[in-house]
Amino acid sequence: MERGKAPPQAGLAPARSEAQPSGVTASGARSEAQPSGVTGRIACLLVPALPLAAELRARPELAGHPLAIAAGPGPRAEIVAVSPEAARAGVRTLTSVVHARATCAALVVRVLSPAQDEAARGALLDAALSASPRAEHAPPGNGAHAGEAAVFVDARGVASLFRSEAGFAGALAERAQRLGLPARVAVAASRSVARVAARQLAYEDGGAGDVRVIAAGHEAAFLAPLSLDLLCPADAQAEALSRLGLRRVADLLRLPERALVTRLGPGIRPLLALARGEDRAPPPPVPPDLRLEEATDLEAPLERLEPLGFVLRGLLDRLAERLACRGLAFGDLELALRLEGGGRDARRVGLATPTLDLRVVLRLALLALEAAPPRAAVSAVSVASVGRAVRGDQLDFFRPAGPAPAVLARTLAELAALVGPARVGAPAVADDHHPGAYRVEPFRAPKPGATAQPDSEEVPALAVRALRPPLPARVRLLGGRPAWLASALANGRVERAAGPWRTSGRWWSLEERFAFDHYDVATGDGWVVRLRLDLLHRRWEIDGVYD
Amino acid sequence: MPPTSSARAPALAPRPGGPALDALLRDLGASVQRGGLEAPAASCFATGLAEIDRALGGGFPRGRVSEVVGPACCGRTSLALALLARVTAQGELAVVVDRPDVFDPASAARAGVDLERVLWVRPPGVAEALRSVEHVLQAGGFPLVLVDLAAEEAAALRIPASAWPRLRKATAAAAAALVLLGRQRLAGTFADLALELDAAAPRFESAPDWLGGLDCRVRLVRSRAGPAHAGVAVRWRAGERHAA
Repeated sequence: MERGKAPPQAGLAPARSEAQPSGVTASGARSEAQPSGVTGRIACLLVPALPLAAELRARPELAGHPLAIAAGPGPRAEIVAVSPEAARAGVRTLTSVVHARATCAALVVRVLSPAQDEAARGALLDAALSASPRAEHAPPGNGAHAGEAAVFVDARGVASLFRSEAGFAGALAERAQRLGLPARVAVAASRSVARVAARQLAYEDGGAGDVRVIAAGHEAAFLAPLSLDLLCPADAQAEALSRLGLRRVADLLRLPERALVTRLGPGIRPLLALARGEDRAPPPPVPPDLRLEEATDLEAPLERLEPLGFVLRGLLDRLAERLACRGLAFGDLELALRLEGGGRDARRVGLATPTLDLRVVLRLALLALEAAPPRAAVSAVSVASVGRAVRGDQLDFFRPAGPAPAVLARTLAELAALVGPARVGAPAVADDHHPGAYRVEPFRAPKPGATAQPDSEEVPALAVRALRPPLPARVRLLGGRPAWLASALANGRVERAAGPWRTSGRWWSLEERFAFDHYDVATGDGWVVRLRLDLLHRRWEIDGVYD
Repeated sequence: MPPTSSARAPALAPRPGGPALDALLRDLGASVQRGGLEAPAASCFATGLAEIDRALGGGFPRGRVSEVVGPACCGRTSLALALLARVTAQGELAVVVDRPDVFDPASAARAGVDLERVLWVRPPGVAEALRSVEHVLQAGGFPLVLVDLAAEEAAALRIPASAWPRLRKATAAAAAALVLLGRQRLAGTFADLALELDAAAPRFESAPDWLGGLDCRVRLVRSRAGPAHAGVAVRWRAGERHAA
């Protein structure tokens, strides 16, 4: 049997729904034999031509056009996937780009993007995880199935949530479709049978969204009439089986195992197990992390931020769809750019609160880029985020609500871009004896709660306006106390002075130690200032003004 | 006296609920009010200084632009911190747009400001300061925006005249109280309320010598709500460091 061709040939095509064995339901029809109390039930979510699906997911405007995916740039690159429109126009895989263009003048050729494919794979897993907590990527196919992407989903107990396994399969297909991936779904007792069933659906004429449920105990009957190619044997095995005249699964199972192993080697055993529908793999695990990534390779490097913004919008839009599909929201954003010439630009965009507001996230990403533009033209873009659960604000009935969290995040980012990140925040008193010490902390809308009401009867406190840095001053002393002051602010005779109050600290550090004598001084020109003598450097300064 | 004063219409007749309901409403403050046929008055933020609040008709009005002006060391900042303390104590968020970078967190904490509820923005220029104000007003949820422009003379600030109607509109839309601190009045007729502070007199105590505070006089020079006020005297007390 020749590899690389579409497997279902005339006479070898998998059984159609009208010829299906009992216990098999297709296209969302409910199975008569609903499994009850069955421990192993697996769904397989399969996209037959991932490069094509990933391209159409990234550029939906290409849907309906004759489209071909090339393995690389240049006219001699090999076509690895074609759309149905291109196939109808005579374009075939494994031909060169120049040949494909000659066949169809209107053909749109895009270069395979591994990053885009990986993102589509991730989206397929997200569709699965939106319906079941346990799911994992299937191992890649080979030969004619090399372009497919599949995900195994734990389908135990789903009938109670989705009314039936067919309902569950339909929900999976619908969610994959919502993420831009035309998927086929099959449910069976084992991974291998579910995958073969989904693969068979893909090679039938049915479109995306088809589902099939193989009832427990009917696996062998389902597999028997199928083409051996659907089991995805290795190339050498496929050739050997073809030489022996074996076309269908039933043909293979009719032969004694020992004789087959003798002739074809022990490597045939896994294929035999597959043909029998045996699978001892444990259920899919719960994925360890919630990091989601969308990426794309750009056909031409981008030098300006404006077009990069359009690329980012597309990526973030798809990422938001995936997050929403799993009931999550954007956490901090990881933005990675591959630069022309081999450089890499990675940055982290912090979000004050999880949000699915695309406008906010895009604005924050663009502000980060505007604040520090990439050093060179960008040839690939990747955005990733660890999904975080969105929690509703617990508002206090008697206390006012602050700004909406997403709007607050955007406002803080805009302010940071406008005045600098270090110049926006919540002020805080530093745990330090230095007279000018203070802290600026990230501003977070505090939780509502009781706040002490200032006593209205109390005499109001006098405020100090801190001068940063302190203002140099010249002071004339009389009897060891300031008597005359000259500075950029206060000048003239010192009418009244109180002090000194000595402050010192950080004596253990030569660079940071300080010692001041502070005076409160009222000058003849109406100023009341906080004057200090720096004892270490023997200089006078004004570090505050009473106002 | 609720923390946020509202110029309520006088009660026309005894209302149901009795003293228990009155006590409850008093405890809950201005967040909860009796329903009724009376038109709700524009709310305002009290400073907690009874004389000044009385002169202002309750406090600094929300949705309006107010100005607090005067020469150096007149008590502008102290008045602003008193307002900030009252507002944050009510659980509201406030923004301090601090163009000259003179806000002193320690001093504010002594005045009773809940610093966690203050967003401190230190713009490098006047243009950035005005844009910051617009950003926070557009965001909403910050009912008090305090803008310190007191470092320079009004002419040196070079604020375009078109800025004030825009800010006034944004302030009204956000229902926030926009309070400008300056040496001279800046917003002109776009300010609904203006307080002018006279030069203050420092008050020194003896034995030992320490700065007891400032005595100043506050005059209401512009108010759309009512006639200008002759002025009230305010005594500010110096910080604990000096009293100790």
